[in-house]
Amino acid sequence: MTELQQKQRNTTLVMTCPLIITGVVFEKVRCAKKINSKGEKGMKKITSLVLCLVMIFSLVVGCSQGNKDAATGTDEGTSSSKETGSPRIKDTLVIGSAAEINNLDLLAQNDQINNICLKLTHETLIFFTNDGKLEPELAESWEYVDDTTLEIKLKENVKFHDGTPMTAEDVKFTYEMCLNSNASTLMAGLKSVDVIDDYTVRLNLESYDNEFLMNLTAVNVGIQSKKAYESGMDEPYLVGTGQYKFEEWVSGEYVSFVRNENYWDPENAGVAERIIFRPIIEASARTIALQNGEIDVCIDPPINELQFLEKDDNIVVHEQPGTRLFYFAFNTTKEPWNNKTLRQAVAHAINRDDVLTVAVDGKGTPQTTILNRGLWGFYDEMEGFPYDLEKAKAKMAEAGYPDGGISTKLLIANSTPYTDIATVIQDNLKQIGIDVIIDVVEDATLKEICTKGEQELFLWRWNEDQKVDWVYNDLFATGSPYNYHHYSNPVADDLIYKVRTERDQEQRYQYGVELQELLVDDCAQVPLYIANLVIAYNKGLRGQYLFGGGNHDWSRAYIELQ
Amino acid sequence: MIRFIIQRLLQLIPAILISSFIIFFAMNLTGGDPAMIIAGDKASAERIEQVREEYGFNDPVPVQYIRYMAGLVRGDMGISYVTNKDVFKSFMARLPATMELAFASVFFAVLLSIPLGIYTAINQNTWKDNLGMVFALFGVSMPNFWLGLILILFFSLRLGWFPSGGRSGIISVVLPAATVGLGLAALITRTTRSAMLDVIRQDYIRTAKAKGASDRAVIYKHALGNALIPIITVIGLQLANVLTGSVLAESVFAWPGIARLIFDHISKRDTPMVTGSIILCSIMMCLVNTVVDIIYAFVDPRIKAQYVRKG
Repeated sequence: MTELQQKQRNTTLVMTCPLIITGVVFEKVRCAKKINSKGEKGMKKITSLVLCLVMIFSLVVGCSQGNKDAATGTDEGTSSSKETGSPRIKDTLVIGSAAEINNLDLLAQNDQINNICLKLTHETLIFFTNDGKLEPELAESWEYVDDTTLEIKLKENVKFHDGTPMTAEDVKFTYEMCLNSNASTLMAGLKSVDVIDDYTVRLNLESYDNEFLMNLTAVNVGIQSKKAYESGMDEPYLVGTGQYKFEEWVSGEYVSFVRNENYWDPENAGVAERIIFRPIIEASARTIALQNGEIDVCIDPPINELQFLEKDDNIVVHEQPGTRLFYFAFNTTKEPWNNKTLRQAVAHAINRDDVLTVAVDGKGTPQTTILNRGLWGFYDEMEGFPYDLEKAKAKMAEAGYPDGGISTKLLIANSTPYTDIATVIQDNLKQIGIDVIIDVVEDATLKEICTKGEQELFLWRWNEDQKVDWVYNDLFATGSPYNYHHYSNPVADDLIYKVRTERDQEQRYQYGVELQELLVDDCAQVPLYIANLVIAYNKGLRGQYLFGGGNHDWSRAYIELQ
Repeated sequence: MIRFIIQRLLQLIPAILISSFIIFFAMNLTGGDPAMIIAGDKASAERIEQVREEYGFNDPVPVQYIRYMAGLVRGDMGISYVTNKDVFKSFMARLPATMELAFASVFFAVLLSIPLGIYTAINQNTWKDNLGMVFALFGVSMPNFWLGLILILFFSLRLGWFPSGGRSGIISVVLPAATVGLGLAALITRTTRSAMLDVIRQDYIRTAKAKGASDRAVIYKHALGNALIPIITVIGLQLANVLTGSVLAESVFAWPGIARLIFDHISKRDTPMVTGSIILCSIMMCLVNTVVDIIYAFVDPRIKAQYVRKG
């Protein structure tokens, strides 16, 4: 039975049910009248009331069926076939997100779901592929003129949504705006931008950085229209060069984007006529919405409900290696966790396989190194501190705690999977005489406590799929605001700098390996596992471009009707 | 009467002052640095400091509060840290959805609970009464989010009668309204029952019966009319509660209401949005209570006389 037939059957059922009920009620009333003529007047009133209610219900159900389809884009009547023989394509792709969309200003927002929306409307000079390569997008080519000068040639046929051509002036305008916004971190090291001609810009850098080009791939620094800002229009940041144009945002309900019919690269134009993002925060409700056909994609389906989705013939549950690293860590400045041997004892006592099973039902990979899997220079061959209670006890004795006797607090965020992980670790550490009290707080509070260095032990995650410097430097460099371990080691700082600036890639790789071995051995952090990316969608979904870290690109995605 | 209404509206001023004070300070004492949230993950220390300076987070909290209140007096509820949009406009954009859900839930609850309350009262201590009270206990004890999911599973996934969530036409309000309404219905049923029980034992009811009035007239005219005051009070309170606090139902049904707005922004430490929304919720609470007080006057001539005397 096709989806269309199914829907028609449902509608017929919905419309018929009230009529059947009406008939039954009528019959009952007729019988009652025969039996008891005294209550005739009352019965008539009840009958009228029941009939009225049934009619109202039928009307509401009948009318709203159409409304529902219009809002969720599930109306088959609007599907189109571009030409005879080609697959029929559903007009609207509806993506159910796990987070609220809260800001579509590229330079002011910083949530992943906003980024994903903005990838439809804006493009960057360089595109970062999901296998870690850099490819031209709005740029034609680029080259380092010298260590601190990057020259970028732009494509000449690119047009903004309002039809104006994208030129070097727009690039300069965008990047200069970035320097005074939340995107300033991405532009760290950029001194100035020079316009050489209409389609050539030069970026003047403070010093050479191996990963500077990767900064230009973030959607936050997507190229914006200078003319739109100068025109004084409302929300000029919504004008981009992307495959889709912003259409409507109903706060808390949905954001819709409509296909850019004049996209500058017809071969890569959007396919679905409209793409809608619907935030459905409650995970089970999101799953049901997918099963119901109200949404076509369910981002972050709950792991414990995948079994229901897998049984559904119309749904695909897709799994691929992720990049989000969950870790257990120490505040290395707090007693007794400033003792490296004691930290290593704890690392030996943690059973990562159990953690992985409990947290994500085994859908992930345990790892030893501190770097996110998939990043350049990932090296996981060191021995590290595998689960071994005997070694853990020996290390405890070596650290001066032969009988344990330590009582400590583990700070965690009040969301899954931290509570599950914490319970396993609490039990693990009990085996070596460490009593753990679990302290649960909100994400924002955890970050503040950790920044101030008031915690003892903590659980956290780091999601990075592009730059190694955002792992090495942000998490381990002395004084970094995200170095919640408060770890400081001049050797590590030096190696971090070398990985950032060494131009000989072989040599750079060696520095990277050395750095990872050092950080694992110093054991400020005990990496637990990398969670797989799990996403569920309509089996007709095509053209999606998924990233292990969740920053998916939906600009070419659509639903092919079966 | 008008004077009474003006007096009630003037009471809003201390309500706003107190609620804004508590929320503003609570948001700042909860922990969590808003500058880090605004600047985003991976922001540099310089950027975080720049944000702190730009938004005035380096000032003492009382100074920030006074600055906020100075804006409020001028009718400026501030700009959200997260969305960069006007707080008042953001709140008003979500208000229709919340009102729709609140009124639909209360309508559902009233439709179900008042007849049930009367029925259980006139059948006191029979199996019918017990059954009604079991229903009431069930409704009060049922967690909203669980009931919501069960209703979605059955009526949306299994039968396909209603959408599982979102706000798309009248039909989409049925399941959330039933979820919220069932909890309310339980409370209103119990209140109706006990109010009716109090009234039907009064002398004037016996007199009415002795004079030969029909059961229907005794119950609906004499008893219910006099039992309405506590029932209206409970309905008013429940309406005010639902207008401001159906966060679970709004989350389960992806309903774009203000409770979800506030909840989401609390986790983002968005003080202007949370404080502004709570102030507006306080105003709504006061307005609903004022309307309830006015309805008293229409239901009970003794109360109307009091208002008139005071006025």
